[in-house]
Amino acid sequence: MTNSIAEIEDTDCLFVIGSNTTEAHPVLALRMKKAMRRGAKLIVADPRRTWLAQRADIHLQLKPGTDIPLVNAMAHVILKEGLQAQDYIHNLTENYEAFAKAVGEWPPERAAEICGVEAEDIRKAARAYATTDRSGIYYTLGITEHVCGVDNVRTLSNLALATGHLGREAVGVNPLRGQNNVQGCNDMGNNPVYLPGYQLVAEEENRARFEKAWGTPLSAEPGLRLDQMMDRMHTGELRAFYVMGEDPLISEPNLAHVEEGFDKVDFVVSQDIFLNETSRRHADVVLPATCFAEKDGTFTNSERRVQRVRKAVEAPGSARPDLEIITEIAKRLGAQWLPADPQAYWDEVADLMPKFFGIRYDRIEETGLQWPCPDRDHPGSKFLHEGAPIRGKGVFYGVDHVPPWEEPDEEYPFLLTTGRTLYHYNAATQTARSDGLVDKQESNFIEIAPADARDLGVSDGMLVQVESRRGQVDALAVVTDRLSPGVMWMPMHFSAARANVLTGDGRDSEVGTPEYKVTAVRLATHGH
Amino acid sequence: MSHDKITFNLDGEDMQVDAGTSLLDACRSKGAQVPTLCHEDRLEPFGGCRMCLVELDGAPRPVPACKTNASEGMVVRSASESLERVRGTIAEMFMAEHRPSQGGRPNAMEKVAKRFDLGAPPIQFPKRTEYHDHNRFIGFDTDACILCNRCVRYCDEIMQVTALEHFGQGPDAIVQPTDGLSFLDTSCELCGGCVSSCPTGALYEKQAQGIEESSCETTRTVCTFCGVGCVIDLNTKDGNVVKVTAEEGVGPNDGHLCTKGRFAWQFIHHEDRLSEPLVRGDDGELHAVSWEEAYARVVEGLSKVKQEHGADSIGFLASSRCTNEDVYALQKLARSVIGTNNVHSCAAT
Repeated sequence: MTNSIAEIEDTDCLFVIGSNTTEAHPVLALRMKKAMRRGAKLIVADPRRTWLAQRADIHLQLKPGTDIPLVNAMAHVILKEGLQAQDYIHNLTENYEAFAKAVGEWPPERAAEICGVEAEDIRKAARAYATTDRSGIYYTLGITEHVCGVDNVRTLSNLALATGHLGREAVGVNPLRGQNNVQGCNDMGNNPVYLPGYQLVAEEENRARFEKAWGTPLSAEPGLRLDQMMDRMHTGELRAFYVMGEDPLISEPNLAHVEEGFDKVDFVVSQDIFLNETSRRHADVVLPATCFAEKDGTFTNSERRVQRVRKAVEAPGSARPDLEIITEIAKRLGAQWLPADPQAYWDEVADLMPKFFGIRYDRIEETGLQWPCPDRDHPGSKFLHEGAPIRGKGVFYGVDHVPPWEEPDEEYPFLLTTGRTLYHYNAATQTARSDGLVDKQESNFIEIAPADARDLGVSDGMLVQVESRRGQVDALAVVTDRLSPGVMWMPMHFSAARANVLTGDGRDSEVGTPEYKVTAVRLATHGH
Repeated sequence: MSHDKITFNLDGEDMQVDAGTSLLDACRSKGAQVPTLCHEDRLEPFGGCRMCLVELDGAPRPVPACKTNASEGMVVRSASESLERVRGTIAEMFMAEHRPSQGGRPNAMEKVAKRFDLGAPPIQFPKRTEYHDHNRFIGFDTDACILCNRCVRYCDEIMQVTALEHFGQGPDAIVQPTDGLSFLDTSCELCGGCVSSCPTGALYEKQAQGIEESSCETTRTVCTFCGVGCVIDLNTKDGNVVKVTAEEGVGPNDGHLCTKGRFAWQFIHHEDRLSEPLVRGDDGELHAVSWEEAYARVVEGLSKVKQEHGADSIGFLASSRCTNEDVYALQKLARSVIGTNNVHSCAAT
């Protein structure tokens, strides 16, 4: 997030796209609710009539996978009606022409047809966003989990740059992070091309800094992304897989294919707090880890705030903290590492990351600090890009529509999109063990628009079989006007009916993020 | 909001505050002890309980300090014999409709009774109908409710789901889930905000029922159910988590939590937790082994693949659920010990 969570309540126009905030980020949504209660305008772009969408001034109920036409058309309106921030564009951006040319191709009427929304609503949304002084964009996986995820983000960045809606309190572009330490996991260099602190591994001076600190030469060869690792299992190029706290056999797309890959791997280690689909079927070694309540350390939240995690209870049996397990393995492989003390490891990495250098345990005892925080007296950064974009000039991109990897056709006529619910969390290994939550949501379901349900002979509560070209799962039908005809929605939480059995091989061409949000499916009712 | 200053007189002293400051906030900033029951800082002023009455020159009767803003030239008294008498009578009326709940929950009425030196109330309202449903999170002891409406207002103003209502009038008035339905059958999202706002323990956590709050230790940490980073206090007793709370004014959540953050902690002590290392035997099954054996097997497995196929034939996957220190160590293991940049995480999305 370029802004802080608390700033949301001071935003006067909220543009929420691809985020069901009240279910996926319920407490952050309270800030949005507060802004709404104060009279802030709300624009929601979402294929579902979510809680926020129902209360929005403008709900753009777009077809999944048509974000680029929609946002380009908003930019089109902004330029056409002269609502852009001319000085900001002139002084603080580059590549404006390519952007202007690309969005010039997208008058609202053209986008409206592809997106399935009213052209006039696109105009109203563009005007509201551009003409409100304090406008903020909030998005999440509905934007990124597409073949064009990176381009989707670029269109939003274009919108902010064109209107100068960046670099002020409550004004900016805000991806809402889905997991407690997504931000930190990236910050810490769990990425095939970046060392900790977003320092490219391919650059010699970066490697030299880490080689000196770690006392060992490093490979300059960028590594494999997760999706590439999954592919290389099939070709025999990836022979061992070490997975810490993940269950790829529920979370990856096209699971039948993933399963075949795992069958070919020689050696699999799973380090986790529960047995899961991956470890049960494929692990050679399972290492019992501690959960957050049993260890010390830090998490970095969506607003870049590094906060302290503290041990409250003992771990079950002989389960050990992840850090201890890894240091023990490193030691047995001949490395000379510090003992497994979280603070020592934080200091080690903070010394190597200029933007984090000022964040130390003694400073975050009471309240976490937001990076960038370059020195020990720095108060941390509430919001980014103040005065000017951090890199000097903001870059516009000319972006054109990229259709989804798979679209509905005669054989598989419905478009399925997936997501999270309020009552469960990801693979539900934790929430499915809370009986009070299971009372609210016990098993898999699929939301179907009333007209589709009628045509298919499906009624509310009926058990249906959802099929894609890759597999099939069962789900209870929920007939609801939250969806437009032709579009269906399913949560991804239930191990007995894994939505990712259905999802396909579409991936973002630049970063490999799977297209979880668009799958062509058909429905069968049992006994027919 | 305007930042004009207002000068007024409080308890004989002139005082300057920002325009729009309530008399309650002004009193508090000066350290004047004004009792409250229905007031909560995160909610809009309600003026329902009348415990915060103060005297105002020129006003025919005392006014609620929470709902009255300071204005230029006002003369206010936050304490007097007559105020004490009026507040005491009001407190006594609350006692008449309140039966303290058992189970060790903090109860603001105890403090009120003590402050006004109240004994048993001269009258006691008839018992209310008991509330039962089979939701496993939120319990409701109807007789402990004093109708302060903090829960109802929390649900309306903050959650904005309006799943609680103040229903009926006079001695028949009650608070209840919409239409008297189960919490599971209303628009309730089971966030438990109503529980956190209840001053008398009428609304309570079923999972922590019977556990004296004062007997718990708390450890401040961060919730793991999304990327917001809500600061939470794990309440523990005898080495077990029994409840999760959050403090107002702290962290990105300002004391608020969602249903998962507040209630879904059972996994911590769940019997399915892995408690010993396992390795797959020749029979294809996983068997418990010592840590030494497990480590030896990991080292052997990784070394063999590295030797036969090279470091880049090994891949590492970190989780966005682990700490910074954990994931830093994992990528360091991959890069500096194994010698590959094949390290990624679910954070890719």
